[in-house]
Amino acid sequence: MLGEFEYLLISAAAARGENAYGAAIREELESTTGRKCSIGALYTTIDRLESKGLVKTWMGEATAERGGRAKRMVRVTAKGVHAAKEFYDAVTRVSQGASWAVNRTGGGS
Amino acid sequence: MTSFAWPLVDFAARFLDRDEHEAVLGDLVEGGESAWQGLRAVLGLVLRRQALLWKAWRPWFASFVITIPASYLLSGVSISVTCTAERVLWHKDLCPMLPTGHEGYGLLLCHAVLLVVCAWAAGFLVGSLARRTVWVSAVLCVLPTLATLPSAFEMDPFLRWSMVLFLAPAVVGVLQAFRFGTMKLPSATLIAVTVTILLLLAWTNHALWVYNWFLLVPTWCLVATAHSPRRSLRAAA
Repeated sequence: MLGEFEYLLISAAAARGENAYGAAIREELESTTGRKCSIGALYTTIDRLESKGLVKTWMGEATAERGGRAKRMVRVTAKGVHAAKEFYDAVTRVSQGASWAVNRTGGGS
Repeated sequence: MTSFAWPLVDFAARFLDRDEHEAVLGDLVEGGESAWQGLRAVLGLVLRRQALLWKAWRPWFASFVITIPASYLLSGVSISVTCTAERVLWHKDLCPMLPTGHEGYGLLLCHAVLLVVCAWAAGFLVGSLARRTVWVSAVLCVLPTLATLPSAFEMDPFLRWSMVLFLAPAVVGVLQAFRFGTMKLPSATLIAVTVTILLLLAWTNHALWVYNWFLLVPTWCLVATAHSPRRSLRAAA
């Protein structure tokens, strides 16, 4: 099963779609979780996910706003989608009955 | 990013793979990070990468099983070769405390070939087993020299410098490992057999410290890790 950060990273990459690369995923993670994400944690986790076959990476084009440096593009594989769904289902199941989950769906009043 | 700090970040990022170097520096520029944030981020990634490498056995084996004992023994062989050369070729005796047995041109040649081949083999093995942690082995290579530093100051300056004679063939070995990866089985076997014969020759002439038998380890490890067509076929099957 995926780790928490692995799940967050796969979800952020999936949300970015064709435009998923290092800086974009990092920005997505920081804005949605409100937590700082170090470049070290980001790239070592991407490597780990790639070695498990959950994401695929390749070098993209260089842009002027990046000082002419290329991007490392990330795409979530079918296996990655399956692993993320499994994690999400497990979290949803285990959260049933928890006060924050009940309140959120409006059934806890 | 300020211009003076950029080369520092760029230098730190050189410890990463080429593609990662490119992607990380681009991310820093795009994110508008300050120079010190960038440096901290790059150093953090470099440290994580290095730490991950040490989860495998190869860097441990190359650094602590091969480099430390081999460099200690080879620095001794370097001094021994220098002393024997002084005595046999120039009839000087700078180190009477190091007996080298029945000395002569033959034994001097045997010691010199052993020094070069064993140092090269150890360097090649370390370079092929642990390319990305080779800097640790380079640092550890200096330890035996530092350990003998107090007594080294009492030595003749020429003799003191001769302690590091083994470094030249070892560095060549490392560089060739970077270039070729692994050795072919016939070449590795030839080297291992040659070193074994030379060590036996030195031993029978009472010109070998018993611990120097350890120098067989890197050469036979080269045989164990060598590339052979038969092994490749077996792996493919």
